Amino acid sequence: MSGFTPRITRRAFTIGSLLAAGTAGLPIMVKAQEGKTVALLFDSLVSPFWVTGIEIMREEAAKRGWETLEAISNFDDNRQFEQVRAMIEREVDGILIIQTDANAVIPAIREANAAGIPMVHFNRPPAESDAYSVAIQADNRAIMRETVQFLVDEAKRIGGTYKAAILIGDLGDVNAIQRRDGFFDIVDQNKDIIEVVSRISTEWNADKAFAGLTNALQANPDINFLVTSSDFLHPQIEQALKIAGKWNKRGEEGHVLFAGFDGDEGAYQRLLDGFLDACGVQNLFLEVDMAFGAFTDLWAGEKPEKLLLDPGFVITQDNLEETRDAMWGFSVWKNQQG
Amino acid sequence: MPIDAAETPVDTKVEIPKVRAFRRLLERLILSEYLVFYITGVYFLIVWPIVPEIASFSSLRNILTDMLPLLVVAIGQTFVLIVAGIDLSVTGVIAMASVVGASIMTSDGGYLQGSALAIPVGIIAFLVVGGLIGGFNGWCVTRLNMPPIIVTLTGMMFLGGAAIWFTKAHSPTSSIAGLPRAFVAIGGGTFAGVPIALFVAIAVVVVAHFLLSQTVFGRWLYAIGINPKAAKVSGVPVDKAILWAFVISGVCAAITSMLLTGRLETGTPVLGQRILLDIIAAVVIGGTSLAGGKGKIIWTVGGVLFLVTIDASLKLLGSSLFIVFAVKGGVILLAVGLDAMRQRILARGSG
Amino acid sequence: MTPPHAGGEAFLQARELSKSFFGVKVLKEVGFTLDKGEVLGLVGENGSGKSTAMNILGGIHQPDSGQMTLAGKPYRPTGPKDAQRAGLAFIHQELNLFENLSIEENVFISGFPKRRGLPLINRRKIGKETKRLLDLVDLGHPPGTRVGKLSQGERQLVEIAKALGFDAKVIIFDEPTTSLSRRESEKLFTIVGRLKAQGIGVIYISHILGDVLRVCDSVQVLRDGAVAGGGPRASMSIDKIISMMVGRKIGNLFPPRESHPGEVVLDVAGLTQPGVVKDVSLSLRSGEVLGVSGLMGAGRSELARILFGLDPFKSGTITVEREPLENPSPEICMARGLAFLTEDRRAEGLLMEASIRDNVALSSLNSYARGLSHRLSWPKLDRDVAEVSDKVKVNTSDYIRMLVKHLSGGNQQKVVFAKWLLRQPSIFILDEPTRGIDVGAKLEVYKIINQLVLDGAAILFISSEMEELIGMCDRIMVMNRGEVTGFHERGDFDGERILETAMSVGLREPEQADRKER
Repeated sequence: MSGFTPRITRRAFTIGSLLAAGTAGLPIMVKAQEGKTVALLFDSLVSPFWVTGIEIMREEAAKRGWETLEAISNFDDNRQFEQVRAMIEREVDGILIIQTDANAVIPAIREANAAGIPMVHFNRPPAESDAYSVAIQADNRAIMRETVQFLVDEAKRIGGTYKAAILIGDLGDVNAIQRRDGFFDIVDQNKDIIEVVSRISTEWNADKAFAGLTNALQANPDINFLVTSSDFLHPQIEQALKIAGKWNKRGEEGHVLFAGFDGDEGAYQRLLDGFLDACGVQNLFLEVDMAFGAFTDLWAGEKPEKLLLDPGFVITQDNLEETRDAMWGFSVWKNQQG
Repeated sequence: MPIDAAETPVDTKVEIPKVRAFRRLLERLILSEYLVFYITGVYFLIVWPIVPEIASFSSLRNILTDMLPLLVVAIGQTFVLIVAGIDLSVTGVIAMASVVGASIMTSDGGYLQGSALAIPVGIIAFLVVGGLIGGFNGWCVTRLNMPPIIVTLTGMMFLGGAAIWFTKAHSPTSSIAGLPRAFVAIGGGTFAGVPIALFVAIAVVVVAHFLLSQTVFGRWLYAIGINPKAAKVSGVPVDKAILWAFVISGVCAAITSMLLTGRLETGTPVLGQRILLDIIAAVVIGGTSLAGGKGKIIWTVGGVLFLVTIDASLKLLGSSLFIVFAVKGGVILLAVGLDAMRQRILARGSG
Repeated sequence: MTPPHAGGEAFLQARELSKSFFGVKVLKEVGFTLDKGEVLGLVGENGSGKSTAMNILGGIHQPDSGQMTLAGKPYRPTGPKDAQRAGLAFIHQELNLFENLSIEENVFISGFPKRRGLPLINRRKIGKETKRLLDLVDLGHPPGTRVGKLSQGERQLVEIAKALGFDAKVIIFDEPTTSLSRRESEKLFTIVGRLKAQGIGVIYISHILGDVLRVCDSVQVLRDGAVAGGGPRASMSIDKIISMMVGRKIGNLFPPRESHPGEVVLDVAGLTQPGVVKDVSLSLRSGEVLGVSGLMGAGRSELARILFGLDPFKSGTITVEREPLENPSPEICMARGLAFLTEDRRAEGLLMEASIRDNVALSSLNSYARGLSHRLSWPKLDRDVAEVSDKVKVNTSDYIRMLVKHLSGGNQQKVVFAKWLLRQPSIFILDEPTRGIDVGAKLEVYKIINQLVLDGAAILFISSEMEELIGMCDRIMVMNRGEVTGFHERGDFDGERILETAMSVGLREPEQADRKER
């Protein structure tokens, strides 16, 4: 080898190190003779919700002695379809999928059906079709009802009449629609004290949320009852309320009754600080448990319902201490603190 | 100050014959215009023992069917790159054609819902959307003298947004489903056990190869890519040829859109939004020059095969996203590095 | 070789320099010497090896054999930086200045003086220093003036100041006066005299032999890559230099041809494009060569481009074979029988990265296309390409794989001819068809032109070489600042007079004024 020029040596090194990088993650996956292997197909890992989700799944799978294979489609429906086919090729025992589009996932379900591999949708149900799969979803409407009910009770306790605003998500997303409906279920029963003056369409876009809320606060400076369809909008809400001079803690003069949904670490922090009164929480731990339970049932030959609902829970100023351990955002928060 | 003789570097290459023979073989391989096929082969042999599933019949079939949509759009891109242009709007075309075509055919309130004409008109709509957008790009580039990268970049952004808006106007959800079975078969169906998409892609490959290698139009494109001024002075209708290159790119993107829409049984505005880099990378890795004047359809086939093979192996590995990106980026860089080395050897050979 | 200074060690010496490109020897054991304070004139036709010799001197090429010494030490530059460090400065025909920067920034572009210990440019210092350098070359502009505002001559002075700025010991001028007015040229000669007095050696390369004899102490003539002769100024004359340059009598270089002009095939009347050409009228007959003479920027190439539909014109008419030519484009012009050999082969004439076959075929593809798809008939095309390439003697047999960039200048030009001949056009517009090719290839180009004329073609022949126009043309049209200033008939050709009409001083001076105002 002494005659090799340095360039070739370097190239050989590059190839070698790339292969090393490519195979580094292998041994764990290849030696999956014992137990079951489950594919986790995410469309992204962009928010703490999904990052926490995949971590809980890895832990839970390890606890049950299952192996996991992971793939991320980066919001590309076609890529996800190809990933499903590749997992079928790898003869996994189950596919857990978070699809981007409810319609575009149907052919993938058909492929899995044809191969006899159970498929479970996590958090987002597919569109109606003849293909069979099980979806785990938070009972958004019920959780939102319970959350808003807490806020209404607070309002009644304090007394007076209220001007309400709601930040609505993308109406192409069922979750957003269900949360909106849950909100109106409750406020419509309490029209005597609550008047909805503003419905802000965010399309799940933080900038739109900020602009929409700022405009609403200018048009109705007396808004004092606010519900958001997702916690990821909290920073924008905080900013808009600060500008309007309405970012005040519970018990302080000018506090806006404020409820969120999801249960992320920011929501926990704001509950702790007293800015947020209540938060509807998707029980991520329970949902993972339900999803994995569905796999077990399917392997046992049972045929669960196509849609399984996570009842969720509401975390409030009253039950913060007792319930926070079930709030996924709290474990994120704890990690950040530690 | 005069330069001392001792300062000039002296070439002292002493190599033992064996190494030299190996080196020569390596150079021959690198110089081959089908280098990418060899790289793909080597890569395949390396991952085979790691994921044996990759060599199974159904996995090979998956590689084949996965590469078809990418191949068709990459072929269109090859035409534009040969005239030293670039078409970034193809992802926008894929999305726009998908939702426009679907809005005509869908059984949930489509324009021609249930009509016998739904499928033919739908297919024509795909092609017209692609052709019109390609024509518009070409018009901006040739008539308004706008740089292709700007025209098509803005086209990509505009179409991406317009497709979402179009979907909202036509569907309560974020996509358009309920497409006729006969249409869906273009993307996912088989005929005599062979995917229909394969027939479509082969037809595109054959026509594109014929156009580039056998016709006057093909010669024009290469001439324009090498030297547009000389081409113009030689009587080549430069503007017309560039315009048609963009139209071909648009139509190819529309065909890809059809294959993907059929495959997912859904018209969606996010279709193909993430594959732009794969398209350009596939063509360039194949050997087509970004500087224009150089490119072949068979090279693009090789480039697509290479990318899809890497993808397939990584999917089968099921490793985490970070490793996937790192490996893919590294392998692409390696391929491009080999190409740069090839250019250097070629330059040395003629110097 | 005959070194002008036989005894003693000269400041710059080059001995037996040889260089080949692609197996073609372009420099054959060329040597020269230059003393401090000496001006050496280097003359020779295009392709005689002057630029290769200078590129070796400047470190751009390395010689295959031969040595150079500078101040008694071996000199082997491996790049332009080496040459500059050794004290050599090149002032090129196309000046290497940044028009968007100021004079002082250009002068110090390769190394700005810094403030002590800081990565900041010491503005005050460069201003002062530039002022000193500008005084040396008699340029009165403030150092902060943008170079884009200067005239060609003034820019050249900036280049000289830049050379003085890094203490150049040898300054090489390449065709310094081609784009200068007479007055600017005079000024340049004064500066050259001053450089000489300072002990700086000057190599002066020019086609204008009168200038060479005026400023140089000695002259060296190159021909076909070898030294053809030379000596001190006193022993040289223009005639002597020319016969050394061409190696034969001018008359022999141009093969004789009978002239039988026929019908008018191209008629131009009142052609005007503001700022480019004004009221140009000419008529060209079949079997005739009409020369076009003029200085750089006289509008000759611009006229050719308009006639071939590459550039627009505002008014006037073009008539081809009695039919008006409307909305000309290259495609339409070609269909009407026109062919256009551009002055810049590399940029507009050829696909350098393509094969001979692809180049020759480019303009005729449609004639070899069949059917709706315009599929090419390769065998027929290859046969015809080979035939026409053989006819113009393109010096290779592999037309299909040989890339044009690997051919010599002369062979490249023959490829361009072959491209047009394949179409069999009747009117040729030739813009500097012999630029940058060697004498042998020139002769072959002349033979091709004569054959075309005998076959009845009409030729518009633009050239900057007076001998060539006189030797080849039936008539010569002279242009100056976009206007036709005269026609000269064969038998009435007089180089001096033609040059006079081309330069007519009264018309040229206002141009300088215009430029300064901009």
